[in-house]
Amino acid sequence: RAHSNPFSDHCLDYPTSPDSMEWKNMYPGFYDKERDEMTSQVEIADIGCGYGGLMIKLAPEFPQQLILGMEIRVQVTQYVEDRIIALREQNQHTNGYQNISVLRGNAMKFIPNFFHKGQLQKMFFCFPDPHFKQRKHKARIITNTLLSEYAYVLREGGIVYTITDVEDLHLWMVKHLEAHPMFERLSKEWEQQDKCVEIMYNATEEGQKVTRNKGSKFVACFKRLPTPEDTE
Amino acid sequence: MKHPFQIVLSDQDGHVFTSVKNEILVFNTDGQRIGHWIDPLDKSVTLKKQQEEKIKQLSEKKLKTNDETPIKIPKIPVPGLGAPPLYNYIRSLSVRNDILVGTTDSDKAVVIFRIDFSNNIGNCLCLIKRQVLPKRPCAVSQNDKVVVVADKFGDVYTVSIDLNEPVEDKALAPILGHVSMLSDVLITTRDDGKSFILTADRDEHIRVTNYPKSYVIKSWLFGHREFILSLVIPEFNRDLLISGGGDNYVLLWNWYDNKLLDQVDIRTLIEPFLNDSHLPPERFLTEDSVKEVTVSNIISYAEYFYVVCENTKCINGFKIDAGDGFKVNHIQTLTTQHSIVDITLDKLKNQLIACFDTEDEHKLLAGFAIADDGLLQQQEQSKALTNISDANECLVESRDDFYPLYYTSTLRKRSDH
Repeated sequence: RAHSNPFSDHCLDYPTSPDSMEWKNMYPGFYDKERDEMTSQVEIADIGCGYGGLMIKLAPEFPQQLILGMEIRVQVTQYVEDRIIALREQNQHTNGYQNISVLRGNAMKFIPNFFHKGQLQKMFFCFPDPHFKQRKHKARIITNTLLSEYAYVLREGGIVYTITDVEDLHLWMVKHLEAHPMFERLSKEWEQQDKCVEIMYNATEEGQKVTRNKGSKFVACFKRLPTPEDTE
Repeated sequence: MKHPFQIVLSDQDGHVFTSVKNEILVFNTDGQRIGHWIDPLDKSVTLKKQQEEKIKQLSEKKLKTNDETPIKIPKIPVPGLGAPPLYNYIRSLSVRNDILVGTTDSDKAVVIFRIDFSNNIGNCLCLIKRQVLPKRPCAVSQNDKVVVVADKFGDVYTVSIDLNEPVEDKALAPILGHVSMLSDVLITTRDDGKSFILTADRDEHIRVTNYPKSYVIKSWLFGHREFILSLVIPEFNRDLLISGGGDNYVLLWNWYDNKLLDQVDIRTLIEPFLNDSHLPPERFLTEDSVKEVTVSNIISYAEYFYVVCENTKCINGFKIDAGDGFKVNHIQTLTTQHSIVDITLDKLKNQLIACFDTEDEHKLLAGFAIADDGLLQQQEQSKALTNISDANECLVESRDDFYPLYYTSTLRKRSDH
């Protein structure tokens, strides 16, 4: 199945709060057994990670930072999980791919259950479900109201990356991110020098499909602005 | 038989506001009716709106095709067999000083009234605004300038309390939103002048958001495992918050510091009052199904608070002990004659007023005096409450015609995929 309804209940496993999240089984290479604590925390999130191509390319670029993929479709999540296990086994000698992991979850409902305020440095939204119909627009992953939640989990200066092959959706995401007081668009020059933009453009399975079909890809990146001083 | 009041509410000065079906009634302290309002719109409004939209769509289509034949006017849609019934009720009421706010089913609107208590012969309610919303409103809160309204779709809007014309519902933009049905909303201002909006949803979340810069979220309060129904800020310490819903417990927070102060078990207290109606709906019923507890109302009074659970014949009283790091102690379980549909605090007479699920049409309301130690005592039915009961003129054939008084089992998550 290509789609999943983000409004239905599903049978999801999510922590009651970020403090109660058990990361150690997902990133055993970053767990200090003696002190019973993680040596690093998730700072990069790929929301709707699909088949995991982006994370796999990002992993060697950010070896000390934890990268989490969130995916709502059960089978797809299972596939990515198996893929990561295999990669870790193949790269045992270098301890590679210890910093990526995936979980099944509904990011639109439960992002604050996983991350503390200001925990994330980067959030990726790659080829999200376009939800073409007007009345389905609330189901889009970028909306005015959800952007406030992303601003909450992102630290000041953190980056939102978006890419899609649907121009309408691109314009919609740009419109909403530009209208949101906590985000500011980054320039084309910035995009050209950023390693992650290049990876995002070429690494994801969706992106490669678009290239094969000779479609266009639209990129927009935004910086999380400082929290206004008169707020908490 | 009479339809019970589905809402009872009292203000600073002991006026009583009740709602039965689509009617709002206002009473003075003697129980004399001093105001009333009936929603003039009926439930066909939404259906007609659907028809209008279809006509609009068809006309637009026709313009594009240059077709000369007149469009066929579609019929007003008739809900098919098995379609959920259309209700036309006042779902929530809120009062602050001389402003009363309600929400309607008919056109999914917020109705704002100025109350003129000096107008003691006619009708004290003067409708100053009727703001239609895109989705059905579930809860309202207000300060001096705005009404904050939360809807079933998870969005929160503000409606200004003034005489300006309402805005076209499609032009309204939410000030904040959850991806979950909202169940309660509060707007509060601290002593330092900063305002916040607290929202509760069906996905166990309580969120604290700055206001008016509502794009800045302050925090989430994590502790519930089921849907939340009720949020209450006690007046004696406005940084505290009491919350309850589908969990077996009620939580006491310092919402400002994001601290869970205490958790009080409700299930043990309520167990003897549960019956088969508290079991899950039939298609989810198994041999090990447990009866479900839902906290439907929380009323705060000084350092005491009172908890009512859905479809149970009792009120539980608690005391917040400020000296002991804000611990909560149970002080009383009071048995009532009937199940309580709604309950309010009458500050003037130091009593709780409850509306009962009863067929006794003279005793639709009951008063419970609050003693200095917070203990409740049921009172002889006062003349005022009898008057209010008698002013309810909404007759129905049977209980089947009641508003769904106990509806929360639909909020519980039972998904298995």
